[in-house]
Amino acid sequence: MGGRVLRAGFLLALLFGAGWYTWTAFTELSYLSSAGRLGPGFFPRIIGASLVLFLAYSVFADLRRASPESAISPYWRTAAVLAILCAVFVGLLDLIGGLLAMVAFMAGSLWFLNRGRTLHNALVAILLPLTIYLVFSVWLKATLPRGLIPLPF
Amino acid sequence: MEVLNHLLLGLSVALTPINLAYLFAGVMIGMIVGIIPGFGPAAGIAILLPITFGMDPTGAVIMLAAIYYGSMYGGTITSILLNTPGESSTVASTFDGYPLAQQGRAGPALVMQAVASFVGGTIGVILITVLAPLFAQVTRSFGPPEFFLLVMMGLATLIVMVGGNWRYGLISALIGFALGTVGVDLETGQTRFTFKSAEMIGGIDFIPIAIGIFGLGELYYALYMGLHLKGSGGIVRYDKEPRFWPTARDYVETKFSLVRGSLLGFVIGVIPGAGATVASLMAYSLEKSASPTPEKFGKGAMAGLVGPEAANNAASAGAMVPLLTLGIPGSASTAVLLAAFILWGLTPGPLLMAQKPEFAWGLIASMYLGNVALLALNIFAIPLFVLMVKLPYRILAPAVILVCTIGTYSVNGSIIETWLMFAAGLVGFFMRLYGFSPAALVLALVLGPLAEQSLRQTLTISGGTFGIFLDRPMSLWILAVTAVVLVAGILMRRRRLRR
Repeated sequence: MGGRVLRAGFLLALLFGAGWYTWTAFTELSYLSSAGRLGPGFFPRIIGASLVLFLAYSVFADLRRASPESAISPYWRTAAVLAILCAVFVGLLDLIGGLLAMVAFMAGSLWFLNRGRTLHNALVAILLPLTIYLVFSVWLKATLPRGLIPLPF
Repeated sequence: MEVLNHLLLGLSVALTPINLAYLFAGVMIGMIVGIIPGFGPAAGIAILLPITFGMDPTGAVIMLAAIYYGSMYGGTITSILLNTPGESSTVASTFDGYPLAQQGRAGPALVMQAVASFVGGTIGVILITVLAPLFAQVTRSFGPPEFFLLVMMGLATLIVMVGGNWRYGLISALIGFALGTVGVDLETGQTRFTFKSAEMIGGIDFIPIAIGIFGLGELYYALYMGLHLKGSGGIVRYDKEPRFWPTARDYVETKFSLVRGSLLGFVIGVIPGAGATVASLMAYSLEKSASPTPEKFGKGAMAGLVGPEAANNAASAGAMVPLLTLGIPGSASTAVLLAAFILWGLTPGPLLMAQKPEFAWGLIASMYLGNVALLALNIFAIPLFVLMVKLPYRILAPAVILVCTIGTYSVNGSIIETWLMFAAGLVGFFMRLYGFSPAALVLALVLGPLAEQSLRQTLTISGGTFGIFLDRPMSLWILAVTAVVLVAGILMRRRRLRR
């Protein structure tokens, strides 16, 4: 039952987005340009209308029948926690900088996924981010977030 | 003779020490990307794209292409030793690869898959060498109607041949097209769906979406399915077996499978949208029907491993033909490669081989060398890759998230794009969970602007009638090929469902 609700939520979210897209295409974008050619609204109108049509049919057709894959996996919490940790990680990037955010994310994730191996996890949580920092920032000179208080090195 | 001269030019480019180093790095990374379940070449190439920013364009593309075809080799190791395909294109290799390993023939299976991959890859590159210039000549006469039909053909093939629910595949492609319309309309200069944000005027960047959908989305799905709890306990110990090398009989019995798989794989690879997964599954069916002992398939038939392996590698080579000569990628991975080309200021299409011969032929020549390097790696460095297989997913998963996030940020130093990648990861997870087609979304996102522009130009030329698609001989040819491919796809799908 929970799986069906989740599936319905996903399909309805897509339908809502498609509805907004189509509404905008029809109300704000013209079908023809001022020169009389096909305008900026031509393609989005076709795409949007088709999307709404197929999504509405999917919501109607798929939710009527309960499929065997409706049950939620017992491991959903693991995926959800990792997704939340990832969001926190992205949020921390501009606050504490790339290197510290990486260490914090690895420490949190390994504490959750690989419990009971404190020393091992601590080593991985420090060495892997350090390696990535050196590869991206020092060797490749790629842009990494510096944070509100940049590191002295 | 001209082809030979071009190839020599390509070899002179590919054989420089720096390009050889990039090539070797690419095949190594490709092998690793192939081994990690739920982490495909599309995400691998997209994440490593920022690493190539300081490189010469030819060297960069040589490395990224090597990741692409290298992953085809790597995915099979886990298929044989763990019954877990590293890539969707190596699913068919589990059917007979794992039973062979269980029978104490993991060593011969690993060597034969390396040989088959090498033969398939090399035949594929030979066919590119011969056919790509001819293809480029033919496609020079292509106009907007042909380009529009080719885009539609690629997406239709992908939707019908790969994945489960075709309606969800179509919705995925439409979402990709919709995302592709964000930004400035190139013909009128009007902004569309930008929320009046300056960052959105240039459109939705493809790289964060690809990394999110193929990197994070697949990873969340793997965790959701409990992959982090699976250890490497089920791995077959090939090093404890009495015999590592295949017998003469193995080679003799599979020589025709190698050729059949390679040719079939190349043809399937050239068709936009079909790709290596379809090629390997079709090759498996072909081998089974051609075998005098089809009852042995699924129980450890060497031909059941060799045919699909040759096919998926030949297909990955074949997929380079529409990419190089038309600028139309046939799969998510080649779509990322196209994005890399564009980032480097290279415009793949009918004129690329004439205008940038050192680049196009350098890339083709590097594929010959890459296949040799991969053959050697696959036979002599197996212990190294088995170590990778043994790395627990509960450690790999956060490491992959780390690389995805930092890789995305470093492309443009944009936190908004990093959030976009995160959101794409969530959408990718649900798409994977409910049987949508992430590949169709990404392909449509990349090809959307081309599809829109060519459709508008076509209708302007024709005065608004769609009859133009039937008036032009090349358009008619493309429509005919599309019809054949779609009918074949529908028949394949029905056969699958009946089973």
